[in-house]
Amino acid sequence: MDQVKIREYKKETNPFRLFADHLNAVATGLKYFVKPQRITLRYPEESLTLPTGYRGMIRLYKDVCIGCTLCALICPADAMKMVTEGGKKYPTINYGRCIFCGFCVDVCPVDALKETRVHDAVFTNRREMIFWPDKFNQDFDQPIPYQGVVKKVRAVVDEKKGIKYVPDE
Amino acid sequence: MSALYALRYYFFYPSFFVVIIFPGLIFTTIVLLLTIWFERKAAALVQMRYGPLYVSKRVGGALQLVADAIRLVFSEIIIPVEVNPTLFVLAPALVFTFTFVPMILIPYSAIPQSGSILSPYFHIFYDPNIHKGLFIGYFVPYNIILIMGLSAITPVFILLQAWATNNRFAIVGAVRESLLAVSYDVLIVMSLAAVAIEYHTLDIAKITETGIPGIIANPLAALVFFIGMLMATGRFPFEIVEAESEVVVGPSTEYSGLLFVLAMGGSYVTTFALSFVFSDVFLGGWLPLNGLPGALWNSIKAIIVLWFTVFLRAVYGRYRIDQALRGSWKYLLPVAFASLVLGLVVGQLWIR
Repeated sequence: MDQVKIREYKKETNPFRLFADHLNAVATGLKYFVKPQRITLRYPEESLTLPTGYRGMIRLYKDVCIGCTLCALICPADAMKMVTEGGKKYPTINYGRCIFCGFCVDVCPVDALKETRVHDAVFTNRREMIFWPDKFNQDFDQPIPYQGVVKKVRAVVDEKKGIKYVPDE
Repeated sequence: MSALYALRYYFFYPSFFVVIIFPGLIFTTIVLLLTIWFERKAAALVQMRYGPLYVSKRVGGALQLVADAIRLVFSEIIIPVEVNPTLFVLAPALVFTFTFVPMILIPYSAIPQSGSILSPYFHIFYDPNIHKGLFIGYFVPYNIILIMGLSAITPVFILLQAWATNNRFAIVGAVRESLLAVSYDVLIVMSLAAVAIEYHTLDIAKITETGIPGIIANPLAALVFFIGMLMATGRFPFEIVEAESEVVVGPSTEYSGLLFVLAMGGSYVTTFALSFVFSDVFLGGWLPLNGLPGALWNSIKAIIVLWFTVFLRAVYGRYRIDQALRGSWKYLLPVAFASLVLGLVVGQLWIR
């Protein structure tokens, strides 16, 4: 029977090398302490511009919709329901149930549903989470205002810092 | 006029001023709060975060410490059903007291015979070893021994605290504390013994007044004392007793409110007291100055040492208990012996 060879990292046994490693660690820490390289996104003040195709909140194009009910049929969370408005069927969405799977957008034969790039909508009660066709018809691509202006930023891969945020547009 | 003079006399009387106001309770409490804020901020800087910020954005979240203090002090004290309430309340108070007592015995500054606001106390706090007065709570000629002895009592009260809380995490923490205490006490005692042999004295004030900082005369003892200090006070990488993710702050698991402040503040106060010892013995203490400015200069040094110890939280992970014991007995004990030998040799050749 072959012995399975286990490879281990060699443990450092030279105490002077160990001490030097400790000094190195502390020096690295001090370097970061003196020259901070923060990658925190200060969210309410600055918000990230998300890529196109991000699966955020869904919006409806009411004039395109043909009322085929496919979206309501495919919805795995029963978030989408059909309502009749003036003799025509439109989908409504309940964001309390929606799991953002995007099936409704995929299944729509006329592309009447679209995924927006907004994911940070806030509701104050559960009734507000149900979007009736008129509200569902509005565009979502607005920054949520917080104490004035929200700075839109974009994440860029940086050689030194790892991630850097640059102002978008 | 004489009433005012008497008031000033008793206000600046070192046994009151040192213990209650300046390096004592009030100053220590402020430093403790600032230290906790700095600990969070430094860890955040190294880990590429911001740390506390939104409490007061203009000053980098410095008011967070006030918010923390209010929240901690005014939260409810919960006493579990199956504990002895007397011991449960008494234990953290004893821990805090005995971590604070060494601060009374540490010399903070020298008092010149005239010219200083502290000069009236020259004869009361006269140190025959250095022929000067001492800015100290209570003068003992052999203060190294007394400080080491009193700081070595603390683990006993931590054990008592853990036993009184009747909690398994606390017991595990207390066992860890007792295992660690054996190793760090040896390191601290041996490094200070090396320095005492080197300077031919057991008086910290005389070591400082010799004029040669211990870190130059005996760097090995400084290293061993510093690591012993980290172990004794549960700073990273030896935060084994309080290990929040393993034993839920160890001996103080069951405490809340003011009792938790006492239980947790104890380790910070020990660090501050030992930082003063480090500053006095190894960094020259108050030396270019004396009187009150000397004490201020000394405490600046001590705060730098204290903040360096809490800064290490950002750099290190936590050692396992066996790794810490192996480190102290296998690697640091030989260094401590070497520092003793170095102290003997240098004490004979250089320091008279």
